[in-house]
Amino acid sequence: MKILVSFKRVSDAASQDGGQFVINPFDEIAIEEALRIRERGEAAEIVGMTIGTSVVDEQVRAALAMGLDRAIRVDDSRALDPYAVARIFLAVVRQERPQVVILGKQAVDDDANQVGQMLAGLLNWPQATFVSKVEFLNGNQRVRCTRETDRGLEVIVVNLPAVITTDLRLNEPRYVSLPGLMKARRHPIEVLSCAQLGVGVQPRTTIVSTRPAARRSGGVRVESVQDLVARLRQQEKVL
Amino acid sequence: MEAANSLVTPTRDVFVNIAPWMQAVFYAMILASLGVLSWQVWARARLWRQGQPGGSERDWRLWLRRLATYALSQKRVHRKSLGAALHVLLFSGFVVLTIGTTLLMIADNGPVNFHHGWYYLFYELTMDVFGVAVCVGCLLALYRRAFGRPASLGHKRRDWALLGVLLMLSLSGFAVEALRLHFTQVPGSIARWSVIGSAIDMTLLRDLDLGTTRAMHLGFWWVHAVLVAALFISIPVTRFMHVLTGPMNIATRPSRAMGALAPLKLEDVEKTGRVGVASLGDFNRQQLLSLDSCMECGRCEDACPAWASGKPLSPKAVVVNLRDAMGGKRNGQPLHGAVISPETLWACTMCQACVSECPVLIGHVDLISDLRRHLVGEGQITGSPAKAMSQVARQFNPYGRSPTDRLTWAEGLQVPTVESNPDFDYLFWVGCAASFDRRAQKAARATVQLLREAQVNFAVLGREEHCTGDPARRLGDEFLFQELAQGNVETLNTRKVEKIVSTCPHCVNTLKNEYSQFGGHYTVQHHSQLLTELVSTGRLRGGMKSNGTITLHDPCYLARANDEADAPRVVLRTAGGTISEMPRHGAKTFCCGAGGGRMWFEEPQTQRVSGLRAKEAMGTGARTLATACPFCLNMMSDGMASTAGGEQVRVVDIAEVLVESRAERPTVLPAL
Amino acid sequence: MIQSLVIIEHDGQRVMRGSLSAITLAHQLGGSYALLVIGNGIAAVAESARAFGAASVFVIDDLGLLEPLADRYATIIAEVAQRIGASNIVGTSSTYTKDILPRVAALLDAAMLSDVTAVEIKDGVTLCQRPICAGSQVATVKIEGNVRVLTARSTAFAVPSLNCQTCPVEQIPVDAASLPNGTQFISREQRTSTRPDVTEARVVVAGGRPLKDRETFERLIGGLADALGGAIGATRAAVDAGLASNDCQIGQTGKTVAPELYIAVGVSGAVQHAAGIKDSKIIVAINRDPEAAIFQMATYGLVGDLYEIIPRLMAAVRS
Repeated sequence: MKILVSFKRVSDAASQDGGQFVINPFDEIAIEEALRIRERGEAAEIVGMTIGTSVVDEQVRAALAMGLDRAIRVDDSRALDPYAVARIFLAVVRQERPQVVILGKQAVDDDANQVGQMLAGLLNWPQATFVSKVEFLNGNQRVRCTRETDRGLEVIVVNLPAVITTDLRLNEPRYVSLPGLMKARRHPIEVLSCAQLGVGVQPRTTIVSTRPAARRSGGVRVESVQDLVARLRQQEKVL
Repeated sequence: MEAANSLVTPTRDVFVNIAPWMQAVFYAMILASLGVLSWQVWARARLWRQGQPGGSERDWRLWLRRLATYALSQKRVHRKSLGAALHVLLFSGFVVLTIGTTLLMIADNGPVNFHHGWYYLFYELTMDVFGVAVCVGCLLALYRRAFGRPASLGHKRRDWALLGVLLMLSLSGFAVEALRLHFTQVPGSIARWSVIGSAIDMTLLRDLDLGTTRAMHLGFWWVHAVLVAALFISIPVTRFMHVLTGPMNIATRPSRAMGALAPLKLEDVEKTGRVGVASLGDFNRQQLLSLDSCMECGRCEDACPAWASGKPLSPKAVVVNLRDAMGGKRNGQPLHGAVISPETLWACTMCQACVSECPVLIGHVDLISDLRRHLVGEGQITGSPAKAMSQVARQFNPYGRSPTDRLTWAEGLQVPTVESNPDFDYLFWVGCAASFDRRAQKAARATVQLLREAQVNFAVLGREEHCTGDPARRLGDEFLFQELAQGNVETLNTRKVEKIVSTCPHCVNTLKNEYSQFGGHYTVQHHSQLLTELVSTGRLRGGMKSNGTITLHDPCYLARANDEADAPRVVLRTAGGTISEMPRHGAKTFCCGAGGGRMWFEEPQTQRVSGLRAKEAMGTGARTLATACPFCLNMMSDGMASTAGGEQVRVVDIAEVLVESRAERPTVLPAL
Repeated sequence: MIQSLVIIEHDGQRVMRGSLSAITLAHQLGGSYALLVIGNGIAAVAESARAFGAASVFVIDDLGLLEPLADRYATIIAEVAQRIGASNIVGTSSTYTKDILPRVAALLDAAMLSDVTAVEIKDGVTLCQRPICAGSQVATVKIEGNVRVLTARSTAFAVPSLNCQTCPVEQIPVDAASLPNGTQFISREQRTSTRPDVTEARVVVAGGRPLKDRETFERLIGGLADALGGAIGATRAAVDAGLASNDCQIGQTGKTVAPELYIAVGVSGAVQHAAGIKDSKIIVAINRDPEAAIFQMATYGLVGDLYEIIPRLMAAVRS
């Protein structure tokens, strides 16, 4: 079985001066899950895919270092939106013909949570989103997934081929140290263009401007429970 | 008869009553048993040779010094315990008796027979006395094994067998001696030098006729001879192997500062594609030898804080299991998982208690570190420690805070940086903990106050300071460590740093003992050491007020790994404090639980080392627990907070104690 | 012509209150709107949706639609939207709409924006505001195309009040056999709780990692919530540690809430959690660590041991 995993380069949330970039944490989880499926013997090949210019190769190497068999980067310098991304991924899926596509549920920069579902719609494949557990059944014909929803945990079974998006509690991604990165250096990165894939798509949502969100400021320190209750009761009238 | 014999020179016929053909058989048997012994030892040595070459100390002068200290003087064995006492008896007895027998053999077979006269008399006395030592030692050992056996000692049936053989050897030896004295009718003036033998002769054998005596003598002699052969053969398959391998390990174990781990070379990894130890052959030969030098005494296990707190790590089990994997019941099992579990490896705080207790100088921490390196190389580390290392890689500190925040701890203090004060004398290496951890920041601020008072010309690196890499190295990402080390060495050398002082023993250890592996050679002091110097030269005065008794928790990486237990005490006494010591203090300190990268692991409350140590501290009755390490500060604060009654105890750094002692009321450090 | 199709979420018995916020968004987009309710045995649900000023309530009721399987629902929604010629398909941001609506967008070749907090139509250009980077930034985004899919952040759009006029309910027949069959529903953890839904409650009490175990969490956080008639929430760390179930999780990857009173107990206030509570009217923080980030956004902060404070707070509230 071949698995296609996508990953996105995002700004490292922890570095405030914005200098560092990492693989989107949800995508790391997606890659980790694909690797574990391969380690269990249920998949033969794990291929990674991403979109961006050569600066993204830093993350491609990190992904290869985790253990991908191959990686594809679609070279595109534009600011794309989720639908454009899904269309590009569609072309890669058609080229690679995987049985499963695994994506992180959302990117921590745009928090959109759309690409996986859109891709599934374009492919007309079943989808299992926000999964916290993945189990292949019937000799890789179907997969049982536990999903984290607003109403609690839900279990569904989808037929393959299918699209899966990962939630945080699915697994803990493995650590990558220098030996892994060294092995990764020997893997070639396949660079494709939209033209080669036969995809012509324009984003239809564009960011016009951004501004920092209004921050709440800290209020008052109270010294005791009585003080707190008094204020909530008398002043704020919420109790 | 008596009169005739009194003119005889004191000596004895070595093989009296033993026919020449029997002597031949005897020699053959001994040679055969030695042959079996040698062959078995050679077989073990072949197993050691599967390891990587190198790793041994080569300086024979160092060998001799170490053998004298640890093998002969048994420095690590001595302590107040039954085990230590009985070992002194067994060891001294065994050594003397072996030397004696060898001398006898040389005298008997060599060009000059010197076995007579006063030499002979003293020989007999000495052998008897030390024979008693062996006998008593055996009895004590048997008693201890039967009635007072520590759990860490372990027990197998062959332990009874070994002790039995030793005991019977000494008893049969005395029997042979007594019987010989009886039928050779040695004059009393000579016989009494063989104290035990003659006592037995006088009492038990008094009425025995000569014929029976000779027969019994022959019988006991053969029993003794066979037991000797049996003892030789048993060496490689019992604890007794340590008499050979122990000294070998003591001599050859690598010389490295206790707190320093061995570096890896990138070229080696590129060549072999391997990091750390995945299978036995990845250890070096010296390490494999060390596995066979363990005699399972269990002292390492007794000292291990992880074991004491209920974690699945016993340093003894690590060594024994690896040894069994080498050639024993675990032969052929995969190291990781089957022989040693990852939980075992991650539980280690690298406090070096095991290493410093081991009588034969086994390096348990190096074994664990090598195995960890493999796990990390394979990406088999997740969760909070992996996150800490990623943060070290990206933000140059394990807390994940921005590098631009490196100086927020110093707000309002106008601390000079290497930029603003390029002609500094001392570089104050703040460390990540003091930079970002609230409690440790207080210690740094107090230290700055003291340095200023003593008019020390210092500076900090500020944003240029990156994590020393200690967490990465201890957890097993050697190359992340090297990257940081090389970067820091470059910074330090560019800034022309010569003297460094730090409040963190881990930083001190790495800067002092490990950065030299990467071209960084500096004079590094822990702040307690510099403060002690300043006090002794009068640049820092003492305090006037002390708040009751203080107990000091010695940081492992200061007191044990870097041999400094006095300086923090000087600081406390300078502050006017009365110190009430915990049982495990100084070099025998009990780890707080944060070393070895454990600071970054999440631990269930019940398994916290700090809780155990907090109880020990509360046993001293002190109201203040002083320490000299930011990790200890954190761990012990949490440990106290979660121990009944511990909320009454203040946990502070020694620098804070000294600063506070100056005022009528304790100084309130400026709020952050 | 109906401009917007609003997807209404329900649990089989009643409409999820938060999903009504999408109606306000539809209103702001202009033009008439219709509500769409999908499920099985939902006549009562449809009935309760009639008084919100919609042109019509479309109901699709079939046994095969008992559970919200994305492939089926998306196909249906896309068909209905095409049939009525809607320009906008609108819903309230929830795992339900997150699962289904992007798929709808793909089926309709439509652009989509999720988690919209404000919308403005200027010179024929639709501009939406939405949070990015764990809510630390707000992006103004232009959306183009004839058909657009939008989800509204419920805390940013008020639930509309009931209209005295009711609209017709129209049953749309569906051929269940023609629907996609690749997904099978197995089970859902049914947690019966007398507590209000965390996204709808007036008061939310949330707990973090420092709560010792599940029992303690229920006793203290649940206890205080009950004393206040509120809902319980949890940080990601608390859910990871098994102290609370995932549907309590509040934050960047969990739920967004904006109650009148949010009490954060043992919560450090990491930006990912803060993203989910910023719009609360009053935030009270209780934490042992005076340096915890939560104090920088809390209206009232109390430093101390939660194991002492919460019982006292419960008692004070009850009296």
